[in-house]
Amino acid sequence: MAQLQLKDIRKTYKNSPEETLKGINIEIESGEFLILVGPSGCGKSTLMNSIAGLESLSGGSISINGRDISQVPPKDRDIAMVFQSYALYPTMSVRDNIAFGLKIRRQPRDQINAEVSRVASMLQIEPLLDKKPSQLSGGQQQRVAMGRALARRPKIYLFDEPLSNLDAKLRVEMRTEIKRLHQQLNTTIVYVTHDQIEAMTLADRIAVIKDGELLQLGTPKEVYETPANQFVASFIGSPAMSFIPITVTETDQGLAARVTGANRETLRLPLPQGLSPYLGRQITLGIRPEHISQPEAARIEHPLVTRAELTIEVTEPTGPDVIALIRLNDVAVHCRLNPEHPARAGEPTQLMFDMARTVYFDPDTGQRIG
Amino acid sequence: MHDTNTRPFSISRVAIYATLIVAMLVYLIPVVVMLLNSFKTTGDIRAGNLLALPTTWTLEGWSKAWSSACTGVQCEGVHGFFWNSFRMTVPAVLISTILGSFNGYVLSKWSFRGSNLFFSLLLFGCFIPFQVIILPMAFTLGKLGLANTLTGLVLVHVIYGVAFTTLFFRNYYVSVPDALIKAARLDGAGFFTIFFRILIPLSTPIFMVCLIWQFTQIWNDFLFGVVFASGHGQPITVAINNLVNTSTGVKEYNVDMAAAMIAALPTLLVYIVAGKYFIRGLTAGSVKG
Repeated sequence: MAQLQLKDIRKTYKNSPEETLKGINIEIESGEFLILVGPSGCGKSTLMNSIAGLESLSGGSISINGRDISQVPPKDRDIAMVFQSYALYPTMSVRDNIAFGLKIRRQPRDQINAEVSRVASMLQIEPLLDKKPSQLSGGQQQRVAMGRALARRPKIYLFDEPLSNLDAKLRVEMRTEIKRLHQQLNTTIVYVTHDQIEAMTLADRIAVIKDGELLQLGTPKEVYETPANQFVASFIGSPAMSFIPITVTETDQGLAARVTGANRETLRLPLPQGLSPYLGRQITLGIRPEHISQPEAARIEHPLVTRAELTIEVTEPTGPDVIALIRLNDVAVHCRLNPEHPARAGEPTQLMFDMARTVYFDPDTGQRIG
Repeated sequence: MHDTNTRPFSISRVAIYATLIVAMLVYLIPVVVMLLNSFKTTGDIRAGNLLALPTTWTLEGWSKAWSSACTGVQCEGVHGFFWNSFRMTVPAVLISTILGSFNGYVLSKWSFRGSNLFFSLLLFGCFIPFQVIILPMAFTLGKLGLANTLTGLVLVHVIYGVAFTTLFFRNYYVSVPDALIKAARLDGAGFFTIFFRILIPLSTPIFMVCLIWQFTQIWNDFLFGVVFASGHGQPITVAINNLVNTSTGVKEYNVDMAAAMIAALPTLLVYIVAGKYFIRGLTAGSVKG
């Protein structure tokens, strides 16, 4: 149980003109599951290695429970890490892999044995204890790697893209397992991934990082519903949010925007009053697939909800719903429809636009407005 | 595979085997000639041709080569020099291999400012011809008080060998994932613990490569032996030269051949014992993590 504070973390690599980390500030509460997410090369792994002490900082400080550990060597930070490649010691048995850290720390043998069996039963890897890592499947190696981290009962766990080497089915299973483990142990976890679904499903809070900068730090709900800027909005969510250029105009019923469909149909989208400073200007409308659906009686009365008939270009049934593609102001837009709703490619369909939940961005800065 | 199995006498197969057999003969004939003639008597050699089987098989040549043939002024055979070679080769091989593995570990996993330059300069050592360093080395050994000693000879071979062994180990350890080192560091292992507990257990194939390479190089060396050792301290390569060049009356080819075989046997043995690791080590890719 530990609280972790990252204060103005900066990192510049030798021979690199640019900063890899440009001043990251995050406070991670005790027992919190924080996910660092961002595209490849955004600096999230560098940040994680810095927390572990495997990379030195160029500036800033890292504290655990208020104690500055920036200069403390990795072994004395009481941090365990699960690596993307698992990094199991290939010549040691599973048992020795799990016990290695304890042996190095010269714990009594019976205590080590007890700890190994505790961890093994928690992760259900008892039958594997005497095997070598090369005899295990990817999922089993993953469990052993987690077991090695768990065995030391460290203050903080770091996970560096732990699921990215697993196949899709196993990834979902292990995701659930990691979440269950976190609920059981209630430990502080920092978890790096580039998979936004992992981020959404696992995190207490998500830190979205791009080009060494922290773009947004918030709960999955916050990051999903009120993204700080257009990058976060596009990165989180699948299918991704669509961005439509619109012009804010004044009408009898308040602010609105006119958009044009694929067959020159025009429709009027009501806009929230918060956008009044942007009257007459062009802004970007961010709309998620579920914001456009089949008309629902309960929702249609809302002042910011409207309906229109538009031509569907493509439909992609996923099972629970159908992703339909329409075109607004020449931008392809995904809609999430109920499979019961009659929607066929090339045919006009009644759609409901829930403008109360859409978001808006300044086209110049990319920041969210309104 | 299946196709060739059902038609064992296809033309291409015959051609492949014929080529292989010819190549094998080319390589084996000198050995066969040496072995056959080492078991002949001198009279037999002079009377018959080189490729003929001995009319009477005898170990006379072998025993004379081992214990009573003349190498220069003394006539005690090559056995003393044979053990000299062992006393020189074993420590030189072990020391250079251990140093190489340690260098390789540091250069691949704990790179420091200028480590790449250091490695490049070290590689230079692989390309320096023996002849170039003879004079400066003789001078250095003299200053160290190691001229004409076995220790001096070991030192020369260690220095010369470290360039190669470092290259071997460094390239091998580069393929060991860095995450393994990071994991060990977080587990609390230090510089030496990581080396001995994580890397050394992974290193059997490259150790074998190094041992074979170094053993062959050092055992077979003639130049350093003839320059930096003298009299009773000389290695067997030098002794054979002396034995062949010592002419007291009749040339005893059987003794020469036997002595040459004695000199060649240890390297042959090392290759047979550790050879499968040699191929494996040279082609070893990454370690599955």
